[in-house]
Amino acid sequence: MKRLNIYILILLIWSLLPFLWQLVTSFSTTEAILEPFSFTGNHWTLDNYSQLLTANPPFWQYLINSTIVGCSSTFITLVLAIPAAYSLSKSNTKTQSLFKIIFLATALFPYVLLFLALLELARYFDLGNNLFALALPYAGLSLPIAILLLLSAFNDLPKDIEEAAKIEGMNLVQLLRWILIPLIAPATASTALIIFIFSWNEYPIALTWISQSDKLTLPVAIARIAGSSVYSVPYGAYAAATVLGSIPLILLVLIFQKGIVSGLTQGAVKG
Amino acid sequence: MNIFYLLPALTLITITFGLPIIRYFWISFHASSLLTGLEYIPNYGSNWLRIIGDDRFWRDTIQTLRFTGVSVSIELIIAILIALLLNQKLRGRGVIRAISFLPWALPTAVMALGWRWIFNSPYGPIDQLLNLFGFASLNILSEPRLSWIGTVLADVWKTSPFISLILLAGLQTIPNDLYEAFILEGGTKRQAFFRITLPLLEPYILVSLLFRVAQAFGVFDLIQVMTGGGPAGSTESLAGYAYLNAMRFLDFGYSATIIVFSFIVLILVCLIGWITISNSKRILSS
Amino acid sequence: MNNIKGLKTLGLLLVTYLFFNHIAKAERSLNANTTNINILMPAPFADSTSGLVKEFNTTNKGNIRINVTRGPLETEAVSDLAISTLLLGENQYDILLVDITWLAKYAAADWLEPLDKYIPVGDWKRLAHGARLGNDYNNKIYRWPLVSDMGLLYWRKDLMDSPPKTPEELLTIASKLKKDGKVKYGYVWQGRQYEGLSCVFVEVLAGFGGSWLDKSLNPNLDSDQSIEAANWMLSLIESGASPKSVTNFAETEVLQVFEAGDAAFMRNWPYAWSELHKSDSQIKGKVGVTSMVSILPGNQASTLGSWGFSILKLSRNTKEAYQVIRFLTSEKAQRELFLKNGYTPTSRNLFKDQLLQQHSEILPYLEKALSITKGRPQTPLYAQISNVLQTELSSLLTKQKSTIEAMKSANKKTIDILSSAGKKK
Repeated sequence: MKRLNIYILILLIWSLLPFLWQLVTSFSTTEAILEPFSFTGNHWTLDNYSQLLTANPPFWQYLINSTIVGCSSTFITLVLAIPAAYSLSKSNTKTQSLFKIIFLATALFPYVLLFLALLELARYFDLGNNLFALALPYAGLSLPIAILLLLSAFNDLPKDIEEAAKIEGMNLVQLLRWILIPLIAPATASTALIIFIFSWNEYPIALTWISQSDKLTLPVAIARIAGSSVYSVPYGAYAAATVLGSIPLILLVLIFQKGIVSGLTQGAVKG
Repeated sequence: MNIFYLLPALTLITITFGLPIIRYFWISFHASSLLTGLEYIPNYGSNWLRIIGDDRFWRDTIQTLRFTGVSVSIELIIAILIALLLNQKLRGRGVIRAISFLPWALPTAVMALGWRWIFNSPYGPIDQLLNLFGFASLNILSEPRLSWIGTVLADVWKTSPFISLILLAGLQTIPNDLYEAFILEGGTKRQAFFRITLPLLEPYILVSLLFRVAQAFGVFDLIQVMTGGGPAGSTESLAGYAYLNAMRFLDFGYSATIIVFSFIVLILVCLIGWITISNSKRILSS
Repeated sequence: MNNIKGLKTLGLLLVTYLFFNHIAKAERSLNANTTNINILMPAPFADSTSGLVKEFNTTNKGNIRINVTRGPLETEAVSDLAISTLLLGENQYDILLVDITWLAKYAAADWLEPLDKYIPVGDWKRLAHGARLGNDYNNKIYRWPLVSDMGLLYWRKDLMDSPPKTPEELLTIASKLKKDGKVKYGYVWQGRQYEGLSCVFVEVLAGFGGSWLDKSLNPNLDSDQSIEAANWMLSLIESGASPKSVTNFAETEVLQVFEAGDAAFMRNWPYAWSELHKSDSQIKGKVGVTSMVSILPGNQASTLGSWGFSILKLSRNTKEAYQVIRFLTSEKAQRELFLKNGYTPTSRNLFKDQLLQQHSEILPYLEKALSITKGRPQTPLYAQISNVLQTELSSLLTKQKSTIEAMKSANKKTIDILSSAGKKK
């Protein structure tokens, strides 16, 4: 038992240390940042945070932007993926495995390489600098994995439930709404979380699609934070931004960590 | 009716994946740069000839493969350990799990900045601690032989939780009775791991491996933020080179060609990996 | 069920946000008669010009309003942002603050509006010689300079009586001071693989009597002078005169080290001066400024940096934009920017201005540096050839290649890039 605790401790330190260092840096004065291990003089400050919150646009604007993009791309993905996964689960094994291979191949695709063509699409359809439009490529990129996860969840459901519902006289929409969706809720929740985190963190597409400063998403905004003074390294502000930008994600993971694992189990990723 | 439910999703997938890939092939046979006034002018495969003779492209290919191979292997080992640990009955398991998933949930671009600061010489914590105890600075990011290891470390930290998440889901599908029966028959815990856990986890391991190989192959933001591809180009990845050609040099024809070639390399690597795995399986089972 | 509650809350938040966004937009469009001029600048410039912008907006209330977008800090990141805007084809900005190295590229891409028709001849001649350079492409002027920038060598007055003049002297003094334990590092400069490394090299190369491209635009990187210059930079690291970590130093890191009093010499731009003289600076009053060392006194050179305003083709208000540019670069504005932020003036007159001379002891040095500026090659392909040079220099500084090997390879690749351009044209 004791050895186990040591392992746990190592795991926690490994996972938290880089983040904790950001936390320490974010509360340090400029001088303290240069001498992190000497605790003389003025070491601690809230300046980095007040600087972020008084900047123009203020930092919470980026949090809102990322939330909008994250929620709308999650929403679009689920709305498209649930019917698609359901109809696939009803089709014969051959079609199913064909689509599975296609989706797996696309899900495996290094999406970063798509940035140039996606930028062209944005220009052609005039989708630049629009947070809701940014959700479209995100949804497109997340769809294959979402369909795969939901498909296995649908396949795992016992067949007789549907039969029973049909005998009750439910139509398909009712069936989905009242029976199937609640049943696959764990898988849906973990899928949603994966999509949300992906959209929240995505960098290269946001970098090229959004150029207006009040519409930036969080990662791009943080990478663009500028110092308070000319040409001094704003590591304190970076760190503070990291901490603020992480809080929503920490909360999400804390709340959903149990669901996400059981959701993945329900869907049984193995396909 | 089947198709009706599938169609919207398929359309969006085609637009985000299909169109760009076709477009890249088309552009790769055209010159489009400042010299053509950013117009597309057919140049009949001269981009393809150029890339075959481009040392930098091949160096970046090797560097990208090295990054992918090393970081994914380390991630897999660490992820198995984490998953086994998290599968134990622990006090405060929820919080421990949440904390260990945290690195995966944070934006790569953001934590890459954090890592750049950690590796900073002379003011980062690693160098400060080394100096405090009288050792010389490591200069991880200024030394071409070390800098890529720095990027691998950051990537391992960031993405092992993702694999461990999938593996943990896999572990939970293995019924406990299997282990109990195995121990009753006189097997050790270690044997149980190799005879039961690993074989049953295999599909999960394969899926996460595939994912990670593909994503690591496209590594971009991590390196862009940590080193910008330097020093001496020692950390430049294929995606970074493509970005550089498009956004800094405005040479879209060549950028698209780099991307097309990266696809080809990735598909080859996946095929070779697939064949090796299935061959070794056949040898093992015979 | 909790999930559904959460979704509802999020939806509500979303609607609220859209509502307020709508109100804000409506408010903005209220002042319909006002012409909005949007400018994208890197953050430091946005901050330093904020006073001037406020002044302009008060005096021109109801007519013209300047909106400044505070861009990223790093030059390359600003360029990425500007280029993605331009590629998206949006007329989001009327004016761009353009770095000297972007100009040929942007002009060749046909993104910039030529300024010749707006500029009175006499006004252009009022600019100092160095400030006039780097604003034109194919005989058209595309940019009005905001600030002259040139590479300077900063030295510590408390550690030596006079600054070194030759590369040899710089190396010896720096390594001696370090060996004696007077400073942690001798000489810090921009050695990271990025544009700054090219800037450092241009000065040093000129000091050794060489040049990047010759007059007929052929590269000269494998000449004896180039190899000597590169060798000297390598010897700085090998002798311990510069720390090994300079190979990952950009301006920010260099300034951080020098400001902390940890180095005897620093290569940087003029703005470092005012940064070093802030109230909390540890080395205030101990800093001297000179130009980069050279073998022969006549070869001393300063790499020309300089930022300036360009009007974008997509802008619908070019006339007003030009008016804004002239305001932000007027002699009055230059004076203010020099006194407050240490920006080197662009007008010849101001270098003789008594008030400015009294305020800052480095004005004469700046004038001198501005008279010996060395430009970087002006070609739309600059980004490519500079990238080649940076990579090869970085690989020789980190001992991945021998100096000769690296410089030969740089020369060959530069020829390839430039000749492929000639062919297609």
